[in-house]
Amino acid sequence: MKLAVCIKRVPDMEGRFKIASSGTGIDEAGLKFDMSDFDGYAAEVAIQITEKLGAGEVTVISLGPDVVQETLRKALSMGAHRAVQLKHDAPVSDGLAIATALAAELKDGGYDLILCGRMAVDTQNRSTGAFVAELLGLPVITAISQLNVDGGVVKARRELEGAYELIECPLPAVVTIDEGIARARYPSLKGIMAAKKKPLEVKPAQVGAVTYQLEKMELPADRAAGRIIGEGKDAVPELVRLLKEEAKVL
Amino acid sequence: MANILAFSETRLGELRRAGLETVTAARQVADATGGQVHAVLVGAPGIAQHAARLAAHGADVVLVMEHEAFANYNPEAITATLAARLESGYRAAFFAASAIGHDLVARVAAKMRLAYASDVTEFAFSGDAVAVAHPGYTNKIVQRFVLKATPALISLRAGAVLPVENAKAGAVEALTAAIDPTSVRVKVTLTEKAAGGKIDLGEAPVIVAGGRGLKEAANFKLVEDLAAAFGNAAVGATRAVTDDGWRPHSDQIGQTGRLVSPDLYVACGISGAIQHLAGMRTSKTIVAINKDKEAPIFKVADYGIVGDVMEVLPVLTEAVKAVKAGA
Amino acid sequence: MTASNGLFALIVAVAAGFFASNVQRLVGYLRLGRLDDSRWDNVPRRLYNLATIGIFQRKIFRDGIAGPMHAAIFWGFCVLTVGTSEFIVRGIVPTFTLAHYLPQWAYRFYQNSQDLWGALVIGAVAFALWRRLTHRVKRLQGAETHANDPLLILSWIGLLMVTMFLAESFEMVAFPQHASPYYRPLSYALANVLSFVPQDWAAFFRSLNWWSHGLLVLGFLNYLPYSKHLHVVASLPNVYLSNTSGPGQAGVMKYMDLEAETEQFGAKDVEHLSWKSLLDGFACTECGRCTAVCPANTTGKLLSPRKIIVNVRERLEQRALELQTAGSGRETAEGRPLLDGFISEQELWACTTCRACVQECPVSIDQLSVILEMRRNLVLGESRFPEEVMPAFESMEQRGSPWAFDPGERGKWADGLDIPTMAELAERGETADILYFVGCMGSFDDRAKKTTVAFAKIMKAAGVNFAILGREEKCNGDPARRMGNEYLYQMLARENVDTLAKYHVRTIVTACPHCMHQLGNEYPQFGGHYDVIHHSTFIAHLLAQGRVPLREELHAAVSTFTYHDSCYLGRYNQIYDAPRETLKRALPVVHLVEMPRSGDRGLCCGAGGGRMWMEESEGKRINAERAEEALATGAQAVAVACPFCMTMMRDSISSRDESVPVYDIAEVVAERLG
Repeated sequence: MKLAVCIKRVPDMEGRFKIASSGTGIDEAGLKFDMSDFDGYAAEVAIQITEKLGAGEVTVISLGPDVVQETLRKALSMGAHRAVQLKHDAPVSDGLAIATALAAELKDGGYDLILCGRMAVDTQNRSTGAFVAELLGLPVITAISQLNVDGGVVKARRELEGAYELIECPLPAVVTIDEGIARARYPSLKGIMAAKKKPLEVKPAQVGAVTYQLEKMELPADRAAGRIIGEGKDAVPELVRLLKEEAKVL
Repeated sequence: MANILAFSETRLGELRRAGLETVTAARQVADATGGQVHAVLVGAPGIAQHAARLAAHGADVVLVMEHEAFANYNPEAITATLAARLESGYRAAFFAASAIGHDLVARVAAKMRLAYASDVTEFAFSGDAVAVAHPGYTNKIVQRFVLKATPALISLRAGAVLPVENAKAGAVEALTAAIDPTSVRVKVTLTEKAAGGKIDLGEAPVIVAGGRGLKEAANFKLVEDLAAAFGNAAVGATRAVTDDGWRPHSDQIGQTGRLVSPDLYVACGISGAIQHLAGMRTSKTIVAINKDKEAPIFKVADYGIVGDVMEVLPVLTEAVKAVKAGA
Repeated sequence: MTASNGLFALIVAVAAGFFASNVQRLVGYLRLGRLDDSRWDNVPRRLYNLATIGIFQRKIFRDGIAGPMHAAIFWGFCVLTVGTSEFIVRGIVPTFTLAHYLPQWAYRFYQNSQDLWGALVIGAVAFALWRRLTHRVKRLQGAETHANDPLLILSWIGLLMVTMFLAESFEMVAFPQHASPYYRPLSYALANVLSFVPQDWAAFFRSLNWWSHGLLVLGFLNYLPYSKHLHVVASLPNVYLSNTSGPGQAGVMKYMDLEAETEQFGAKDVEHLSWKSLLDGFACTECGRCTAVCPANTTGKLLSPRKIIVNVRERLEQRALELQTAGSGRETAEGRPLLDGFISEQELWACTTCRACVQECPVSIDQLSVILEMRRNLVLGESRFPEEVMPAFESMEQRGSPWAFDPGERGKWADGLDIPTMAELAERGETADILYFVGCMGSFDDRAKKTTVAFAKIMKAAGVNFAILGREEKCNGDPARRMGNEYLYQMLARENVDTLAKYHVRTIVTACPHCMHQLGNEYPQFGGHYDVIHHSTFIAHLLAQGRVPLREELHAAVSTFTYHDSCYLGRYNQIYDAPRETLKRALPVVHLVEMPRSGDRGLCCGAGGGRMWMEESEGKRINAERAEEALATGAQAVAVACPFCMTMMRDSISSRDESVPVYDIAEVVAERLG
């Protein structure tokens, strides 16, 4: 079975971000980068499939400048077999443009299953999987929390708000991975050593036309420092009002 | 002027609140640009009964597509139908930023080879462009985009537009499926509500968590009651509590348990040890109820109540029930 | 020489040959282990250890009952070995006697010693048997022990003594001219009792017992290699070869070359352990002192340090055969490796690395290094560890702290306190005498931050010229290293060493014993050499010099304190007095009460060895056990000198008795600042 996983390099989400002077990116000084969480789950799922079968090949693909090779190596150290960098130095904010490049690489690969994360945790666009599938003419199941591939059929589960649904489709297919299936494994030192010897191809990316353009990034209004709104049960009406009107979570 | 389409999400024959939000948003745009609002209602036969509510929220036309094959979500048939419909000339289409909405908007956009805006919290139409805002970087950054695609496909974050009644004619028209809904590749075989209100901590939009301040295991009932009042909440606990066996280890939130980031986190009788904070600090809104006003949890909480959880929780539970009943 | 002498000579030769071949076999087994050439240096120190721990049984006496008992048998053995040697030579050359070579007084002393120590050994053996058979001594129980072996051995030793006495006594009965009360008084007395036996019969019984004794001695010698009592042979070499490093250095984990071309990182099986760890297996006699003090074991976890060592020997004997027969055409069936086959992952992760087992072992076995080498294999080789540890690993890698906090906020506790960072000083062309390495807990944990601020205030009050690293500081890496993640550890250690080099740091103070141990004792492996002082020592020093201005009035709210020893301060660095001294100086009217387990017997809080980041759902919680012990002293407050101890003790004490606060020693002093 041939599997492909599309992965993205993203900054560590724990830090406090600063907007770069360009206004359309973050200041990367001092930031650490890693694979986007959901892409990590996707890589893990794909690797587990080949481990279970005792056969098959996992190819990881990432679009971006040379620094994405670090992220690809991490996937290789987890157990992916080969990697492809679609080299593109400028950031792209249009999901369709990115998917066009990915689809061009995936098209003739003969992949049975293509996996993506549910979304990249930085841009949170959620478009890559569906676009890639449509461009390749493949069925797609998005945001799945369980996966079973057997006899040419994909069976999956998707979590809805307060509910879930079970979904099937034939292979070859594209799936996008939500949390709950598998956490990305921690690469062993053995894996890290082995990854240094695995193939990593660099190809130019054929990015499509851009119709969705990032104009500006802003930091949201500073979260008001914690405030104590009152004491005892008398404070409850005020709390409910704030949750409804200010936080809009009720 | 071109019309605006709103996809009104249903589940198991029920109209979802998000389905009213998309209609309200479409109405706002139509009122500004002068088009009509076409709400789309898809489901098993009988789904048309909800057309009146869509009309009440501003739908000029309600396009109804009924078929047994739509009892569950049928992504490929709906996608083909909407794409065909949108080709006929709409300015924009609104979807909910829900699991289904995210799936559908991406499919429609892909089918039409259009970029789209996801999880939008603000939008402004001007000429052939739409300026949208959508959160990124785990909601730490607001990204402002310009979408230059027609129709402008947008998925709308829950609560970005609240449903407003604004009655229009709401003429019901049948919408014909563009492909046979029974011969599709992707089939949803079952839709089911999560059992017994047990929502996974990682999925729950609201988490109510309890700590040692609850004094004993039996008092977790208060936490469960509040979670039940929210309806979409899961119950969590601190390590101290799971270590003492008051709750199962799977309920633990913190560095050694689950790392969560819900829209609302209610910390009840939790002091805020480093181990716990590491697991929930990134929640969007944090409420803390604790009798010690020096407790570190108040440093991360947006709203704090200093008081005895045993006394505050029942009152809060009733208040939340009242709000939910009103909505 | 008679035929009987000839026969005995033959038996001795066969027995000696057999024993020698067994020794050779076992030495061959040790050669399967990894190279460790750190065991041959420092001869005076090794001889000192041999004398104190080995010959004078220093650690054995830590148990007031078993100690004297064992010492009686051990010293008896030493004394009686001389007699046994004479006995064997005489069996071959009947005319031989030490009397020919010794002055009469010395020979008489020697003969008397044989009798008296023989009796002492009988007494001790009888006591030991009685204790084993009638009391279920807890530390002697355990599925891994060979429960019948000690009974056999004790009986064997008893029989050796009995036959010795009977042979001597019957000799006196058979040949009254040999009888004298001045040489063997006890045998002489026994001979008087046995004098009713006719002389020819007595001669026969003498021969019978003589042969029995001889055969029992030779049999015993050859039984040892097959028994846990190989201990008799291996202990003294093991003590001699044990780690001789002084305070601080003894607990240092071995450097690992991660660039080495090897497929095996850490230990999965016995051949990946150092030969010294394998020798530990031979030296262990299953006394269980290690397991009896193990915080994990005593609170109901599966881990038993004794079992780890017993398993090493069991697997070694199996594995050696596998390796030796490999490729010979008559291969032994492959057994399961040490990991999983004998020792489970669960056992290995339960260890808090508190060093109580190593501290307690009477023959200087190092249980901890086996556990840590096996953890290295789990993490580096197989990526197997409790899943809750993953966020800690990832966070250390991404953010330089095991807690998922923004590294930019590391120095935030110092806001408004006018404490410069090294970078700020460097920018102004200034420098500080001392670097305060705050650590992750001290930087991010709200409770520990109070200690951090208290210590900083004390230093400011004393006029100490110090600075911090702020956001440039990274986790010292100790959690990663103790959890077996050497790769991550070395990354962090190297980054810190580079940062410290940038500011030419020489002297470091810290309130965290783990930071102290790493920076002071383990960073030299990466070229970082600093003078690292724990805040307990530093504050004690400042107080002794009168540099800390204290208010006159004393707050009398608390009048009794108990101090909980941190493992990394105490057993790792032998700092037991400084924190107590600090408390006494800060609170001269306060009474310090000790817990039953304190000083080098202190019970761990449960957080070390990365346990802070793991679940503890098996058995009783270690901090609960310790909290109960602390509360039982009746002290009104508990003092600690480690941020991890603080968290663990506060968590468990506050849920039991909210009125007993836990303070760091720095807070106690800061409370009295003028």
